[in-house]
Amino acid sequence: MTAILEVDKLTRRFGGLVAVNNISFDVKQGEILSVIGPNGAGKSTLFKLISSFLSTSAGEVRFKGEKVSDLSPHVVARKGIVRTFQETTIFRSMTTRENIIIAHHLRSKASMAGYFWGSAQARRDEATFAKSADEIIQFLDMQGIADELASNLPQGNLRALGIAIGLATDPEILLLDEPFAGMNHDETMQMVDLVRSVQRERGVTVMLVEHDMPAVMKISDRIVVINFGEKIAEGTPAEIRSNDKVIEAYLGSEDDAIGI
Amino acid sequence: MEQVLANGLYLGAQYALIALGLTLIFSLMNVLNFAHGQMYVFGGFVTYTVVAQLGLPFIVGLILSGIVLGVMGALIEKYLFRPVIARSTREESTMLLAAGIAFFLDAVILLLFGEKQRGIPKIIDGVLNWDYRIIMPYDRILIGVLAIAAICIFIMYMQYSKTGRAMRALAQDRVAAELMGVDVKYYSMIGFALGAMLAGIVGGLLVSITGINLGMGGPASIKAFMMIMIGGAGIISGAIAGGFILGMMESVGLLVFAAYGDITYLMIFVSLIIFLAIRPHGLMGKPWG
Amino acid sequence: MNIKKPLLVIVLLLVVLVLVPWLIHVSGRWDFYYTLTSVALLSIASAGVWLTFYIGRINIGQGAYTLIGGYASAILVTKLGMNFWLTLPLAGLICALISIVIGLPILRLRGVYFAMVTLVLTEVARLTALALPITNGAKGIVNIPMPTELSFFGITIIPDFGTLENPKLAFYIASVIMMVLCYAALYRIVNSRLGHLCRSLQQNEELSASIGVNTAYLRVLAYSISSFMGGIAGASFVSISQSVYPSSFQVVDSVNFMLNCFLGGLGFVLGPMLGTLVLYFGWDLLFTLGKYQLLIYSSMLILLMVWLPNGLLSLKLFNRGAKKK
Repeated sequence: MTAILEVDKLTRRFGGLVAVNNISFDVKQGEILSVIGPNGAGKSTLFKLISSFLSTSAGEVRFKGEKVSDLSPHVVARKGIVRTFQETTIFRSMTTRENIIIAHHLRSKASMAGYFWGSAQARRDEATFAKSADEIIQFLDMQGIADELASNLPQGNLRALGIAIGLATDPEILLLDEPFAGMNHDETMQMVDLVRSVQRERGVTVMLVEHDMPAVMKISDRIVVINFGEKIAEGTPAEIRSNDKVIEAYLGSEDDAIGI
Repeated sequence: MEQVLANGLYLGAQYALIALGLTLIFSLMNVLNFAHGQMYVFGGFVTYTVVAQLGLPFIVGLILSGIVLGVMGALIEKYLFRPVIARSTREESTMLLAAGIAFFLDAVILLLFGEKQRGIPKIIDGVLNWDYRIIMPYDRILIGVLAIAAICIFIMYMQYSKTGRAMRALAQDRVAAELMGVDVKYYSMIGFALGAMLAGIVGGLLVSITGINLGMGGPASIKAFMMIMIGGAGIISGAIAGGFILGMMESVGLLVFAAYGDITYLMIFVSLIIFLAIRPHGLMGKPWG
Repeated sequence: MNIKKPLLVIVLLLVVLVLVPWLIHVSGRWDFYYTLTSVALLSIASAGVWLTFYIGRINIGQGAYTLIGGYASAILVTKLGMNFWLTLPLAGLICALISIVIGLPILRLRGVYFAMVTLVLTEVARLTALALPITNGAKGIVNIPMPTELSFFGITIIPDFGTLENPKLAFYIASVIMMVLCYAALYRIVNSRLGHLCRSLQQNEELSASIGVNTAYLRVLAYSISSFMGGIAGASFVSISQSVYPSSFQVVDSVNFMLNCFLGGLGFVLGPMLGTLVLYFGWDLLFTLGKYQLLIYSSMLILLMVWLPNGLLSLKLFNRGAKKK
């Protein structure tokens, strides 16, 4: 498999604090790669750097060989790297379907003026989006809540909606920020299946940041472990499980390993 | 040059005191108090009434200004802001309430004190003349010193008293403060009262120098907004810095641009907008968003 | 649905162009023309503020753009002898351009920070008008001629207002047509994908950016449309009063535009129009109270806020919710 995303000596400092220090790894086409590490290890910062929500202090991120760090978030999204958020971030006063339809923005071909005047292209866009939204709703089994206001949805559905929004952008890489946070065991396992099916059936490369160790072990093809802003290990779940450095890092902060 | 610095310090001390009240209210309740300028004018009129009408000493007027405005602030917080904050879904609603209160205070001032410019007799006569480098009337020096003293007292109070510590905790993290057992409602009210009291005291100070009139409220609010934007909204040290910076800029601007007419404030506004474009959270504020 | 929308516009036009003049004619209250013209123009400016609310920004700076638009038109008419009807869109465009330059940095601010800067902006506009030579300082620009004839290839489209026997009616008609056009445009924006994108911005800017929306561009676009509306409203106002001063539009006006939007409702296209009408007439009706006018007016505002902290709209929302069940 070829590397679709290369993280190369990425560094980010906040004042004197180095949140991400010289981290390098590759994400391969079609895999699920997890980034784990204790709280405050720099996982979220790493994600923000990859999606250009933060600018780098040094190093760069390459997507298919092209530099994608230090751009605008929407430009990175247009290239096919789409991020979902740690909190259940959705458009709260829109329905599920509206959320998914609006998220098709990347695929729109009509201009702003075209939308205003209702040009033929704009109408074609709208029809395509509606159809695609229905497909996604079907795919994620969300028919029952399609017309429900997002602010009324329970947390599990919100997380799924977050992924639906991600899918609507037709990404090549989906960055999931703690997709299992705050979920019980059953919900987590459902989510694991969902992410797996996104990867298998839609051919999306998935990169995720997560605390929940059992889920990470189950879902990941490969795992990158970071601690205090530095990469301490990289490998398959089996390799990670028996890595001394990882065990040490997690024993040092036992609470975090449980996922609180 | 010394003259400009002295003028800047004198103005800055008063400005900082206004900005402190505004920033305190903002940090505790996330309310942008549009009525701050009106509260300050009201304070000036209280001192005017006490000193010029009742013939009592200036210090009594000053204290009464503080008390009247403090009580007013507490009532406004308890009966207006608190219920609106509890029930509103958007942060705009408190701004509209504040705008309504500003109009209301304008109306009350108009009915009680009229439209005329009011002032009180000089507290002390005489002018300090230091080798023609600094020429400043004694009463201005006194007011400047009183304002700086008030700022110091306020900082000490926030730093060392139990109330001050509770309010700082509240400003930092409302939820955490509540969990730690801080009585959020009570301290919000105290904070609002304190902010209003500061506005009242500045009004009382100013009435002895330049006098006061109804139309001064709105522009004072705008200046106060600028000061807290320069320093960073909700930051105590930022408000003080913002106040002195604005005072200095005004003082320097009046000297430099004297030949070009009334463009000092225009220049200040424009530089503020450029400054905010570079540093949106002000000098000492935390970045957000 | 496609038939309904134009129909609504036609009904609205019929009401304001036929019913209202007829009522005024019958009642003999000619002064109402001026009041209603003001309401129409103020509600255009308020519509702009509403649009910035729609992208999640509290705009207390519309007074700046009404003032700039007013001066732009006045200068073009008096100094260059341009036709007013040509200066009207130009005034809007000038405002839009200025708002792009100003908006690029300040639209990065959010919440109360943006609100504070826009408030300062109104003051900047006033001081600029005072300081610049071309605006003639505090004396302002006076004796601006009435709008002259607009014709294409010899066909008169708009007659010369100076020669009309009832210019008040003419101004009224021009203003309400402009108002209806502005609200039709606003309706179209809100109900097209453009409006959905604006809403996505209002609800969550980060998520909007991460689904590929160019948030900076969209914000500036909405803000410039808003300022365009402010500009044409200001230009029209100046033309009616035939004069403009630095104090023609002040901070109070900016605050009032915001109040109009909020009172009418932020989720409802006709909200700012309703709000302007209610506030303007409310203020006018209270005129009989003399010196207590401001006191009663502000007390009512405060009580309204305490009673309905989410605006008049919250009543409407409540009804809609009840109907669904």
